[in-house]
Amino acid sequence: MSKQSIQFDGIKDVSQFKLYEIINKSLSLIQRAWKKTYGFIYSFSPSGKIGLVLLSLIFLMALLAPWISIHPHRVSSGPSLIPPAWPHILGTDELGIDLWAQICFGARVSLLVGISTALLAGFVGGAVGIVAGYIGGLVDKMIMRLVDIMIVLPDLPVMIVLAAFFGPSLFNIILVLALFSWASPARIVRSQVLMLKEQSYIKAAEIYGASPWYLLWKHFLPEVFPLLAVNMIRLTGRAIVAEAGLSFLGLGDPTSKSWGLIIHHATSFRGIYYTNFWKWWLFYPWLFLMLMVISLAFISRDLERIADPRLGKS
Amino acid sequence: MKGLRGAKLGEYLLTILVVVTLNFLLPRAMPGDPFLFLSGEEAGDIIVPYSEEQREQYLEFYGLNKPVVSQYFSYLSELCRGNLGFSLYYNAPVSSIILNRLVWTIFLVLAAVLFSTLIGVALGCISAWYREKWVDKSLYTLMITISEIPAFLLGLVLLFTLAAGLGLFPLSGAMTHFADYRHWWDKAYDILHHAFLPVTALVIARLGGMYLLSRNSMTTVLAKDYIRTAQAKGLQKKRIIYRHALKNALLPIVTRIFLSIGGMVGGAILVENVFAYPGLGLLMRQSVMYHDYPLIQGIFLVVTIFVLIANFTADLVYGKLDPRVGQLGVAEK
Repeated sequence: MSKQSIQFDGIKDVSQFKLYEIINKSLSLIQRAWKKTYGFIYSFSPSGKIGLVLLSLIFLMALLAPWISIHPHRVSSGPSLIPPAWPHILGTDELGIDLWAQICFGARVSLLVGISTALLAGFVGGAVGIVAGYIGGLVDKMIMRLVDIMIVLPDLPVMIVLAAFFGPSLFNIILVLALFSWASPARIVRSQVLMLKEQSYIKAAEIYGASPWYLLWKHFLPEVFPLLAVNMIRLTGRAIVAEAGLSFLGLGDPTSKSWGLIIHHATSFRGIYYTNFWKWWLFYPWLFLMLMVISLAFISRDLERIADPRLGKS
Repeated sequence: MKGLRGAKLGEYLLTILVVVTLNFLLPRAMPGDPFLFLSGEEAGDIIVPYSEEQREQYLEFYGLNKPVVSQYFSYLSELCRGNLGFSLYYNAPVSSIILNRLVWTIFLVLAAVLFSTLIGVALGCISAWYREKWVDKSLYTLMITISEIPAFLLGLVLLFTLAAGLGLFPLSGAMTHFADYRHWWDKAYDILHHAFLPVTALVIARLGGMYLLSRNSMTTVLAKDYIRTAQAKGLQKKRIIYRHALKNALLPIVTRIFLSIGGMVGGAILVENVFAYPGLGLLMRQSVMYHDYPLIQGIFLVVTIFVLIANFTADLVYGKLDPRVGQLGVAEK
């Protein structure tokens, strides 16, 4: 009887030990991950840290939009054109719609456009760059010609024309922006792949019979990804600015109210130059747009420095 | 060298052909029927019934009853003759409307390029000379921040503070309407007064890039031995900077000048809309609002070709100024 209990205790001990081990392991994993992110953030310059804080605040705003805005963002909730005061902390526009709510939901549009454009362009451009660099020859030549054409074409006129002909929708805007953004990641990835292809460890792997697929996952992607990611952050900023510009012209998606569209409504209001309404109606969307653009720029500048130390020194 | 230039030219001609083809295909790929647009209704709430005869007549008039390929070639030959079509809204040939407006856009862009280059290079020289001192550090931080702000957001600030708030500058337009000027300098003053804010917005937006480039270029040159020799000879600071260093640092800057002409067009389109400045950008927005498709296409074509010519010039100038480029380019291929 006593033996059995000892055995039982033993098993229990073992399981407990294992549990501790698992907890310890996961704790150390979390710790390590935390230390790594901490070190990563620590290597940012002060401006980069400011950018990170601002951007995460804007992210939170976009995520929590329905909960942090008291008023609806589509329908009127008070008198029109009142200056910032409780409960309309940023005032209202000409239809009496709360501006804070509009700005919170506008953050969603801006981020959606920026991130999906960057993802689309990054994936397509990365894939094209890898194909061009790895296969080489005629394929490479044709792709590079196409990239050259895309780089010299001015994007805003084309976007205006496409918006005019096919109607402005968020989907179209993202598609056109991605169409004009894939060239630079493709170029970067291609040059990186060309460089990697000549490395002896990759040649060795090839001789040992590594398939292109294996090389891609094990060697090319890990090397190429940091540069691609940095470039994608730049693309995000560019896409957000382009969408704001297009919306400012009144060519954005009229159903999704982005910051640019608020500015468009404010500037096309007849009395805007002769009244004080611009002090909140125009100023706040403008301010948030500036904060977003500048923080993205700061972050990407720092990331460029970290990913490629040669760039930052100049 | 010559072969490289030829290849570049071919590349640009190919790009122009792509743009022209895009311009030709877009209205034909567009959803909807031209007869609905002609009737002035959007997406067919009321369909004005054209009789079969009228339809035939219009098809004949616009050449839409021919096969697409021959339509394409007749479009190309019309383009070569400078015929961009007929504006639906203004009831005038597209090319003459565009020519009237193009002057203003070119004026804005050239003025902005000129001033951003002068100021940017001067600041870059100062920064490179006082490297790592507080002047350099504060200038650098300021310029990095400024260089990321799009021109139309800057334009909005200038418009609402200086023009609407303080009333120092006119709110819109390029000249005072119905003004009779006593002298030509009154007119010149009026034009400059109107152009000041748009040009300032474009200059500030472009300044950062110019500054960073010239600072980099100057720093590399200033580290060279011959600059140390010049310093050891006891030459004046001004003479070293302007005669010895800047001359050698100018190469990338000159190339960037032409590239920035092309890059500035996008910014100019938006800034013109901020200040209601009567250039091509404003016209483009208006023609989109009025659904004036021939005009949109014409502007698009002119703007794109303008940018392409600027970029091509940049390539040519770069090859001309630095003989190493041509050889390197050939060696790479």
